[in-house]
Amino acid sequence: MIGRTAAEAISEGSRLAEFSRLFLANRSAMLGATIVLIAVVVALLSSWLAPTDYARTNMLFVWEPPGDDFVLGTDALGRDVFSRLIVGARVSLTIALSVLAIALTVGTAAGMAAAWNGGWIDSLVMRTADITFAFPELIIAILVAAILGPGILTVIISLSLVSWPGIARIVRALVLTLRGELYIDAAIVCGTPPTQILLRHCLPNIVPALIVRASVGVGFIVMAEATLSFLGLGVQEPLPSWGGMIRDGLTALRTDPHLSLAAGAALGTTIIGFNLLGDGLRDLLDPRIRER
Amino acid sequence: MSAYVVRRLLGLLPVLAAAIVLTFAANQFVPGDPVTVMLGDQGGNVELEQKLRREYGLDRPLPVQFADYLAKLARGDFGLSFRYPSVPVTQVIRDALWISPSLAAAALVLALPIGISLGIVAALRRNTLADTGIILVLVAGLSIPNFALAAFFVWIFALKLGWAPVAGWTSWRHAVLPVALLAIPAAAYLARLARTFMLEVLQQDYVRTARAKGLPERLVVWRHSLRNVLVPILTVCGVIFGTLITGTVVIETIFNIPGLGRIAIDSIFARDYPVTMAIVMLFTFFYAIINFIVDVLYGIVDPRIRISR
Repeated sequence: MIGRTAAEAISEGSRLAEFSRLFLANRSAMLGATIVLIAVVVALLSSWLAPTDYARTNMLFVWEPPGDDFVLGTDALGRDVFSRLIVGARVSLTIALSVLAIALTVGTAAGMAAAWNGGWIDSLVMRTADITFAFPELIIAILVAAILGPGILTVIISLSLVSWPGIARIVRALVLTLRGELYIDAAIVCGTPPTQILLRHCLPNIVPALIVRASVGVGFIVMAEATLSFLGLGVQEPLPSWGGMIRDGLTALRTDPHLSLAAGAALGTTIIGFNLLGDGLRDLLDPRIRER
Repeated sequence: MSAYVVRRLLGLLPVLAAAIVLTFAANQFVPGDPVTVMLGDQGGNVELEQKLRREYGLDRPLPVQFADYLAKLARGDFGLSFRYPSVPVTQVIRDALWISPSLAAAALVLALPIGISLGIVAALRRNTLADTGIILVLVAGLSIPNFALAAFFVWIFALKLGWAPVAGWTSWRHAVLPVALLAIPAAAYLARLARTFMLEVLQQDYVRTARAKGLPERLVVWRHSLRNVLVPILTVCGVIFGTLITGTVVIETIFNIPGLGRIAIDSIFARDYPVTMAIVMLFTFFYAIINFIVDVLYGIVDPRIRISR
C-alpha cells in the first residue's frame, strides 16, 4: 500500500470527528460508556481498591451487617463482601475479554478461510457453525462442564465455542463482498499471498463490523459467565464471581439480602452498561442502520 | 408445501446426529470409571463389578456400545443411571420431563402480548419520553440476569410481602415467580423486535396509502401494520423458546423445582453422566422440534419462504 494522500487523511479525520460528535450526542451510549469505564477502572485497580484480601476468612466476623468496618458486611466465612465485589469485577471482565479474544481470533480466521477458499473448507466451517447454532448455549456449557468439570476453563471454552460461529458468519459474508473489489483483484494480480491480502487489505474493512459485534457480545458473555458461576459450573471458590456471590447470598436472603442484591446490582449495571454501549456503537457503525 | 416440510425435516438430521455423537463421545471423555464410583466401598467385589459392567454394557467394544446406544435411543431408552445403580435414566427424568417445557411455554404465552404491545406503543410514540422510557426498561429487562432479578423478587414478593412462596413445587402459586422471571427478558426481547419491525412497516408505501386515503390511525395500525409485524415475530419465537428452556435450568435451581434443568445440574455434580447426556439430548431435541414447527408455520404464513429456502 502506498502512503495515504492528504485528502484521504482529512476525510479519515473528519469521519472520526463526525463519529465522536454523534457518539457524544447519543446519551444512552454515553451512559453505557461511563458504566463500562467505571467497571474497567475498578477491575484494573481492584488490588488497590479492595479494602482487604478477598479470600481472607475470619470466623470472628461472620454475617456482619454493613457498617464502618465492612462497607457491605461479611459473608458466611467472614470475608469482606465489598472486597469480593471489587475483585469480582476483575474476574468477570478478565473472563469476558479472554472469551472475546479467542472467539474473535477463531471466528475471523475461520470466516476468512471459508470465504477465500470456498469448497469443502467453506462447507465444513459453515456446517459446523450451523450445528453449533442449533444447540442452546447453556446446553453446550453443560456438556463441556460434564467433561472438564466446573471451573474457569469450562467457562472460557464453552463460551468461546458458542461465540465464534456468529463472528465467522459475519467475516465470511464481508470477505465475500470484498472479493469483488478492484483493489483485491489488483493485489491478487500482483501475486500478493492470500494471507497478506486477507490481513492487510480485508481485515481493516472488517474491523468496524467486528467492533460492533464484539461490543454487543460482551454483555452476553458477562451474563453467561455469571450464569455458569451461579450454577456452580464456573468460577470456583475462593475466587469471587458475581454469579457465585448471588447464589451464596440466596441462603441468607431473609436476614442479609444485601449479599445477593449488591452482587446482582453490580452484575446488572455492568451488563446494562455494555449493552447500552454496544447498541450505541451498532447504531453509529452499522451503515445499514445509519441510513435510516 | 410438503416438499418444504420434508426439506426442513431433513435439516434436523445433522443436528440430531451431532447431538447423538457428541453425547456418546462426551460419555467416553468424562473423567473416572463409573463402575468404580458405583461400587464405592464394595471396591473389592469382583462379582458385583462384572455384573455392573455387563448390565451397563461397558464390557463391550466402543462401536458395539455406540450401536447399542443408537438402538436404545430409537426406543426412547437412555440407558441406566450411574447415581442410582440399575435405575433407567427414563425413570429418573420421567416426572421432570414436562416441567421445563411447560414453564417455558407459560412464559412465552405471557411474554408475547406484553412484549408486542410494549414494542408497538414505543414505535407509535417514537422519540417521545414514553419511547425512551420503554427502551430503557427493555435494556434493563434484557441485561439483568434472571437469577439476579430472582434474588430481588424473592426478597420483595416472597419474603417482605409474602405474596408468593419462596420455593417448592406443590401448587400453581409456586409457578408465579418462576414464570414471571422467565417472561421478563423474553418480553423485553419481543418488545425490541416489535418496535423495530413496526417502525419499518410504518415507513412502507401501503401504510402511506392507507393514511392518504383517510383511514383512521386505529385501522392503519391494527389492520395494515400489525399483521406484517407478527410474521417476523413468529420466526423468532423458536429462538426465544430455546432461551426460555435453558432459562429454566437457572430458575428451577433457584426455586427448587424438580424439572429437567435442575436435574441436569444435579447430575453434573453427582457425575451421573447418562442423565446429563439424556437431558442434553432432550433439550436439543425440544429446541430442534420447536424451530421446525416455527419454520413450517413461517412457510404457511409467508409463501415466498417455501420457494427460496
